[in-house]
Amino acid sequence: MALDMEPIRTDFRGYEGQYVAIDARTGKIVIADKDPRVVFEKAKGRNHVVVHGRVPLADEPIYVGLG
Amino acid sequence: MADQPLLWLYPYREDAQSTRLDGPVFRPFVPVSLVHGDQSTLLLTGLIDTGADSVLASNLLADQLGIDLDDHDGETTHAVGGRVVKARYKTIGLRLHPSDADDAKYVQWEAQVGFIEGWHSDGLVLLGSVGFLDRFTITASRFAQAVAVEDRRVFDDRFGVVHTA
Repeated sequence: MALDMEPIRTDFRGYEGQYVAIDARTGKIVIADKDPRVVFEKAKGRNHVVVHGRVPLADEPIYVGLG
Repeated sequence: MADQPLLWLYPYREDAQSTRLDGPVFRPFVPVSLVHGDQSTLLLTGLIDTGADSVLASNLLADQLGIDLDDHDGETTHAVGGRVVKARYKTIGLRLHPSDADDAKYVQWEAQVGFIEGWHSDGLVLLGSVGFLDRFTITASRFAQAVAVEDRRVFDDRFGVVHTA
């Protein structure tokens, strides 16, 4: 591991189909909503919080590369 | 930022893209924000993607920045994630933040960002060659499960200037 770094884990279970924001220090989901605008609004003024995006449904295909 | 050499380390992060063979998917995500005039977005998830030509983001973010995409720098179509999408480009500011996503710490530069309608994940910013990989030296290691971001001149310092044959 680089400088004892471990990958940041996030438990996305239960958030399928929702947009989420995560505390970057812990990987914990701190905001979730089906409307991304609500997530953006609730994340305002919260330092260390990163809007991650949408959690896909279980039957959606996995992107293997976006570029 | 101070004038000390840039070296920011980022652990890989688990992606919401479910599982690969029942295991977690880890990707080189870095916190970024977009800036236009006196407007800036929240911190967003930047995916370092050496296979992408440019920086791409949701047009929802353009709305938040007050950008009129009808007044774009250029327009083109891309194949992204198996889909064909239309991107309208605008030159704006990008900020890279450290791993703990402290919004007060960042390096900022100007780049063309392609805004896409119907982007599959509105918080995701694709960080490709022009606008990101031409700004930094990136060292990604799936073995170490981390990515290092350094000044772009570091590559030449480390390996020498690479000449084409």
